[in-house]
Amino acid sequence: MNRNRIVIDIQDVVKTYEEGRIHALNGATLQIREGEFVAITGPSGCGKSTLIHLIAALDRPDSGRIAVNGVDLARMGDLSRYRAREVGLVFQLHNLLPTLSAAANVQVPMYEAELSFWDRRAKAQRLLEAVGLGDRASTPPTKLSGGERQRVAIALALANDPPLLLADEPTGNLDSKAGEMVLDLLRSIQRERGVTLVLVTHDLRIAGSAERIVRMLDGRVVDAGVTSTEAGP
Amino acid sequence: MPFFMLIFRNLLRQRIRTLLTALGISLGITTVVALGVVTHSLKATAEDILHAGGADFAIGQSGSADLSFSTLTEEQLEDVAAYPEVDHAIGVLMAFSRAGSNPYFVQLGIEPADLEHFDVPLLEGRYLALGASNEILLGQEGASQLGKELGDTVELKDRTFTVVGIYRTGNVWEDGGAMLPLATVQEYERKDGLFTLIYVKARPGTDLDELTARIEEAHPELATLRTISDYGDVDQGIEIMDAANLAISFLAVFIGGIGVMNTMVMAVMERTREFGILRAVGWRQRRVLQMVLGESILLCLIGAVVGSILAVIFTRAILIFPVVRSFLDPEYTPEVFIRGLVVGVAVALLGALYPAIRAVRLSPIQAIRYE
Ligand SMILES: Nc1ncnc2c1ncn2[C@@H]1O[C@H](COP(=O)(O)OP(=O)(O)OP(=O)(O)O)[C@@H](O)[C@H]1O
Ligand SMILES: [Mg+2]
Repeated sequence: MNRNRIVIDIQDVVKTYEEGRIHALNGATLQIREGEFVAITGPSGCGKSTLIHLIAALDRPDSGRIAVNGVDLARMGDLSRYRAREVGLVFQLHNLLPTLSAAANVQVPMYEAELSFWDRRAKAQRLLEAVGLGDRASTPPTKLSGGERQRVAIALALANDPPLLLADEPTGNLDSKAGEMVLDLLRSIQRERGVTLVLVTHDLRIAGSAERIVRMLDGRVVDAGVTSTEAGP
Repeated sequence: MPFFMLIFRNLLRQRIRTLLTALGISLGITTVVALGVVTHSLKATAEDILHAGGADFAIGQSGSADLSFSTLTEEQLEDVAAYPEVDHAIGVLMAFSRAGSNPYFVQLGIEPADLEHFDVPLLEGRYLALGASNEILLGQEGASQLGKELGDTVELKDRTFTVVGIYRTGNVWEDGGAMLPLATVQEYERKDGLFTLIYVKARPGTDLDELTARIEEAHPELATLRTISDYGDVDQGIEIMDAANLAISFLAVFIGGIGVMNTMVMAVMERTREFGILRAVGWRQRRVLQMVLGESILLCLIGAVVGSILAVIFTRAILIFPVVRSFLDPEYTPEVFIRGLVVGVAVALLGALYPAIRAVRLSPIQAIRYE
């Protein structure tokens, strides 16, 4: 891993909604390096989620450029492959399928990787163990606590071993203890697996545990922050 | 979990809806398969009629709307018999009237002397005596429906006949009816010297195509009948039956398709968010399509299997009516069941097309923002 290599390069990205009346992003520029843990903060409506969605290629910018590992997403033919292999996503709420067990949920992204039925099963079990839920594999999300659900969501995000993990308010719906646990888990994944972690949060305490804090306002990055080698409390 | 199980599980989420939709489809498939069995079997019976007594072909009056209206004369019988390739030409007169509980009891008037050349395997008794006017041969099924045995008497058209023989040819139409002396039937039908059909047995080695073509050319008023497709010349019933079958099948498919579409549209709409998640974690459009179509196809296959079973039950159940039993001998050919399956899959694809396109077109972001 090269901690100086830029893996995500966002240049002047504009994204509008409602036929241009709402500027969700208004010329946002940001670089993220390999293996970095970056927190993005800013007031509600400043465009944090929009930025995460664009990096995850769930949507396309109106103008500007987002390059991942030097490749412009706009030029990438098969975005499904990118979404499946390159990024893992964790949302604040609902990114699990309610009728499937935890293990089946974790397997969902693996259908797009050429894994056998047995490999999928074994890998889902390993990932659930890694997030501390090895014994809850057959439980559906509806019977898990909010914190447990979020840990399943993290296991799901890691299903295809993506080098990039994007988390949008992953602790927003959790009490502080469960939130702490999810945050620790994300941080240890970032350290141990060398994953680049981009985390959106309102909570300045959580942001404080990142190596760098990026501040956004009105659709722009107003402070790209400085890397603190002594990350976290 | 195998992909197939994922599809199956999705169907189980709304059990009642899945069940009702599958039931709706199965009734459509029941209609298609049951009609298929009935038309196929009726055609087989109809084709058997053309080869009654082991005939190579039959001759009827060209252009008659219904076989029972076909009228042929003795002169025409002689003309046919005069062809050197014709071994035997046997004129028969058909009549239908109520007997016991059967309103269409089939009566075949045949010259007793001709029975020698007309293969009618007797189970008991003997053939009609030459010159006898009050003897009757009963088919096995006809005898059992009337509750008659050898030596009993049968009342028919205000006349009394003695049962001298019981036969079984294997054709439900003949076995459900009777054979009587030609002159007697001609008399009570008031068709003196007339026939319904002429049965022709050709000499061995005859080119039947050539012979029938030659007969039709020399006698435009005659229609030679060898296969079911020749029936149109003397009877519109088969064509009407085919058309009705097709129309009803289309209707069943259409109704089934709308039912499936309704279910699949709901299934896709209520899972908008889930489709967004699937796309966000990297599912290709093709896989989403496979899932939606898979759900629809599985649903319809369940319907097709249930429908085929219902069709078999239905076609057996209608045999409790004697009149049906004397016309219908259900034959369950693989084709009708394959047709049921094909119709099921067609309904599935038709019904799922629009919802599947909707599901595939959902952009992941729209779906994820959807609350
Ligand atoms: N699909 C959409 N249609 C219309 N407006 C939208 C849409 N998505 C986002 N917006 C608007 O774009 C702006 C940025 O939204 P975004 O969700 O990125 O903000 P955010 O920083 O994540 O806010 P929060 O902290 O509340 O989650 C907001 O004004 C929002 O209302
Ligand atoms: Mg947000």
